[in-house]
Amino acid sequence: MKIIDEAINRGQTVLSEFESKKLLAQYHIPVTREILVESRESLRDAIEAIGYPIVLKGCSPDIAHKTEKGLIRVDIRNEDEALVAFKEITAGMKGSGNAVLVQEMVRGKRELVAGLTRDPQFGPCVMFGLGGIFTEVLNDVCFRVAPLEEFDALEMMREIKGHKILGAVRGMEAVDMTLLADILVAIGKIGMENEKIAEIDINPLIITGNKPVAVDALIVLGSSRA
Amino acid sequence: MRQFFYPSALAVFGVSSAPGNLAKNIVHNCLEMGFEGKIYPVGKNPGTVFGREIITEPMTLPDGIDLAVILVPSSSVATTLETCGLKGIRHVIVSTAGFSEFKETDNQEENDLLKMAEQYRIRIIGPNCVGTINTGSGLCTPFNPINTQNFKKGPVSLITQSGGIANQAAHYFSEEHIGFAKIISAGNKLDINELDLIEYLMEDEDTEQIHLYLESIDHGDKLIRLAKRSSKPIVMFKSNVSRTALEVAKSHTAALSNNDRVVEGALKQAGIIRVRSLHEMTVCAKALRLPPLKGNRLVAISLSGGFSVIMGDACEAFGFVCPKLPASLIRKAESFRRGGVIRMSNPMDFGDIHSIEVLMDILEQCLALDDIDGIALSFMYGPEIAKMLGKEIARPEKLLERFQSISHAAGKPMGISFISERQYIEQLKASNIYPVFNDPPESIQALSMLRNYTSRKTN
Repeated sequence: MKIIDEAINRGQTVLSEFESKKLLAQYHIPVTREILVESRESLRDAIEAIGYPIVLKGCSPDIAHKTEKGLIRVDIRNEDEALVAFKEITAGMKGSGNAVLVQEMVRGKRELVAGLTRDPQFGPCVMFGLGGIFTEVLNDVCFRVAPLEEFDALEMMREIKGHKILGAVRGMEAVDMTLLADILVAIGKIGMENEKIAEIDINPLIITGNKPVAVDALIVLGSSRA
Repeated sequence: MRQFFYPSALAVFGVSSAPGNLAKNIVHNCLEMGFEGKIYPVGKNPGTVFGREIITEPMTLPDGIDLAVILVPSSSVATTLETCGLKGIRHVIVSTAGFSEFKETDNQEENDLLKMAEQYRIRIIGPNCVGTINTGSGLCTPFNPINTQNFKKGPVSLITQSGGIANQAAHYFSEEHIGFAKIISAGNKLDINELDLIEYLMEDEDTEQIHLYLESIDHGDKLIRLAKRSSKPIVMFKSNVSRTALEVAKSHTAALSNNDRVVEGALKQAGIIRVRSLHEMTVCAKALRLPPLKGNRLVAISLSGGFSVIMGDACEAFGFVCPKLPASLIRKAESFRRGGVIRMSNPMDFGDIHSIEVLMDILEQCLALDDIDGIALSFMYGPEIAKMLGKEIARPEKLLERFQSISHAAGKPMGISFISERQYIEQLKASNIYPVFNDPPESIQALSMLRNYTSRKTN
């Protein structure tokens, strides 16, 4: 794929959040509406296109752990806030460029994780589970080998311990399981079709209303081991 | 492949009459197990083993030998393989160890073997294995002394990497009265791997269930595809799962993936039943002899209040529900109580009803219910109780025949265990008419394996 080849030519080992989501969107995985900007002027245009409230994130393939590095500002509601946040984020990026992602603010209490890894015995495997900042702590995930059928994806949703979170709970709508299954099947397809992708993380995959949206994403490049 | 199990003539390389010689055990095991083909011991020094003269000039071996077992030092395996090639032997079990399992890098010896095998179009099982045991032909190639007298023929075949597991499974399957058809120790899987063997067993008439013990899976994707199209159930005990798969992981996904989790998902996907011990393998083998379990609604019945509570817990732990039974059925059961001191429900405490006919009738009625998929039954049985309950079940076989006919007529399974002395439980198991489990939780675990298999296969 063009995105991957260009990144490799630039010497990248991972795709930036913006590039990662562009690739996911090509496989019809719903992602946040977002625009990459590098100046205050283009920031204004982007905000106009996206509409408040917005999220600003420092965006570079060299930056992992954006939250810990203070490179994310959420729920920005006016231009003053946006300009301050833009200044602080670009200052915090310290030589990793000054590209900032202007993103719609997705609201939803349920945060899931979906991803891809390559297993030495089974090849590309899709993961699904509870996501957000406590993914490792909750450790509630399961795997299937790609390619996945819809049945496999639906079974994964029943398999996690916290599966009830996908139902109608505490006034929230039941999650659209078909859409969620489509995402898992698509991740498997990406793994099957792109040897140069080693790992994928979509975390969080936020449920807004009843629909999942990829709010952050990371694609790790590398030669396929399996 | 057939020649690995039903050879007409077998050559064993590495035999001597010295007391500690291992290869001669292969000859002995085959003779003991009643192998009817010809056996030719081959060795460096002249001598006699079990009435057979050791052949010291392998080129003088007769034509028409279709299987050889090689147990010579690893440095001589390749030349022995060449001898086989020259003599037209196309199937070889290499028992010798000291290949990639011992020295992971630079496997010159293995490369030599492969080259030789290719040149002479020889198929190899091993190296580093004990080969095959076939109750259908009496072929028994393990090089350790093994008591073949107690081996029991049965519907289960096992593919294992380890020779020790092959040995133990042969005894364990037999002692649990399941028996076995073929056991194959595949060792390092240099040429023939589990996929080739599964494909063979899928077509093998004597095999109804394919069991696997694997430490490593080489072609996971192919295994999944193969298992999906198998009409015979496949059961796997996968060991070596504790190691974290990836040490350098950049993503959450890679960090959270480990061998055990991926195996869990992959086996489910393939419709392979996962077990975690040799014992569970036998439990599963018994479960798979029952009629299919099409849902998760059970009636749990015990002649003991204690066990019916334990069964209720086990049902929940293994994902079963015990639906409320129709009032008419409960009333009927209650009308046969002796003391009238036990309230009937599901799980059902049958301790107050002392009629075998009432029990059989309740079993039939429960299985006839549309919202019941199977029964877990813990029954009290022994010679004295049999006398008390009537002579039609005086012998254990008679009782199990009744259970079997009720279960088969309804097309629904019963997971049965007994409250009894071990010797009587053993008699019941040995009659092998209908599966008997060791205790109530095990019978419910068995039903859960059956349910998971049935639901995957009917999806």
